[in-house]
Amino acid sequence: MKCESCNKKHATVHLTEIIGSTKKERHLCDECAQGVNTQLAKIPSPTEILTSLINQVAPEISEMSKIVCPVCGLSYLEFRSNGRLGCPMDYTIFRKGLVPLLEKMHGSTQHVGKVPSKAGKELIKKSELMQLRNELNKAVEKEDYEKAAELRDRIYDLSGDTNED
Amino acid sequence: MTFQVIPMKISDLANNTGEWLRGTGAESDIVISSRIRLARNVARFPFLSRTNIKQKKELEEIVRNKIKEAEITSDIHYINLADIDPIERLFLVERHLISREHAGGEGERGVAFGKSETISLMVNEEDHLRIQVIRSGFELKEAWKTIDGVDNKLEKKLTYAYSSRFGYLTACPTNVGTGMRASVMLHLPALGMTHHIEKVFNAVMKLGLVVRGLYGEGTQVSGDLYQISNQFTLGKSEQEIIEIIESVIPRITSYERMARKALIAESREQLEDRIWRSYGMLKVARMISSEEIMHLLSQVRMGVNLGIINTIEIKTLNELFILTLPGHLQKLEGRELNAQQRNIIRAAYVRKRLEEI
Ligand SMILES: [Zn+2]
Ligand SMILES: [Zn+2]
Repeated sequence: MKCESCNKKHATVHLTEIIGSTKKERHLCDECAQGVNTQLAKIPSPTEILTSLINQVAPEISEMSKIVCPVCGLSYLEFRSNGRLGCPMDYTIFRKGLVPLLEKMHGSTQHVGKVPSKAGKELIKKSELMQLRNELNKAVEKEDYEKAAELRDRIYDLSGDTNED
Repeated sequence: MTFQVIPMKISDLANNTGEWLRGTGAESDIVISSRIRLARNVARFPFLSRTNIKQKKELEEIVRNKIKEAEITSDIHYINLADIDPIERLFLVERHLISREHAGGEGERGVAFGKSETISLMVNEEDHLRIQVIRSGFELKEAWKTIDGVDNKLEKKLTYAYSSRFGYLTACPTNVGTGMRASVMLHLPALGMTHHIEKVFNAVMKLGLVVRGLYGEGTQVSGDLYQISNQFTLGKSEQEIIEIIESVIPRITSYERMARKALIAESREQLEDRIWRSYGMLKVARMISSEEIMHLLSQVRMGVNLGIINTIEIKTLNELFILTLPGHLQKLEGRELNAQQRNIIRAAYVRKRLEEI
């Protein structure tokens, strides 16, 4: 069999290329096969291109690139390539990468607008609970068990419905 | 309280338009409409790019039912977009009841809106819920009052994804924070004709606002209609964002009025000729493309504003911008039409509407 590239020398190297779902056989001589290999070697792989690009653009992304959200399975790299987040938790998981991004987009990283009344209630409840727990600790310190029992019941009442939808 | 989960007939809508095209409200000679939308997501679900079919269906059910329970208006209708054909979806896009992305999406998704078409709620768009309020004229504060009320009713029924740091959490970080996009649609033909429009854009962009065409992001400007909206959603309150836009709009409208005055002062005959020719074209043409009609309607609209033409109402012209769009013509005819057929029917429809006057 002659080399299909130069058509002169004997083909000694037999390559199988797979492009998509089609397989292609190539029969080359030593010399021409060398050429193919060096050409291939020159082309960086897609991941190399991506990584070098990321390293150039923002070094912090390369450290973020390993992070994957345990809730929705989205990786930080996927987020950066399509711009969409996968779940509310991503704002926490990807925070380190997101903060500079939000700063660039909005010129700020702190919400100052509307607060859902539920979130408001939760905040109020949280601070109330904190206060009651402090009082409970004091009551226990003073060995005022009657007061402590009363406070305990109030804490149960209050925290009992915090999980309500 | 009646809530029709059974879809209304879209063809019932085809002969009229939403209240926001009535040409009423402040500065309505130049400001066509004021619109606000809020992006909201349900806390315990992933965003839509990460939901499976089952979750998406579940979300659609939950949000649809909560909209129903929230009793937003007495006459709200719900349409499941998976149940209607592409022409009907296009029709809803043209009326600004849904977005292009929503129309072109997949799977379980829908829209709820009231009879006046002032309020619409998109379910499973880019975010789980997008609330929108449109009003005629320069009425952003009123639109905010309405949408804030709708949002308050819904948040009693739904736990939104929210953090005190980043505000309302959205699928795209460009919407996070308030989740609010406030926009004002302006008709600026004289600034276009005098080539001053770029100056306006540059000034507007410096304030962190963006200018878009009639159908939002990436759409071409036609009919001299522009939408000006906020780009940033984080770090400023809803009121602050609205105030920024509100402070800019009167400057643009007075600039447009100045340009109109200058056109009249310098070339009254040419201007009148252009306007009357456009009017004549609308009255006699046998075929009009969608691009051409936008231009003609824009010219005539300015003519009415300037008192050059006084036989047509602004409302009629505003409505014609929408009623002559491809989805509306096809819905009106009740069949699919190619571009040439649409051009013929469009011309006939406009002739008929103008004869009625
Ligand atoms: Zn060879
Ligand atoms: Zn996630």
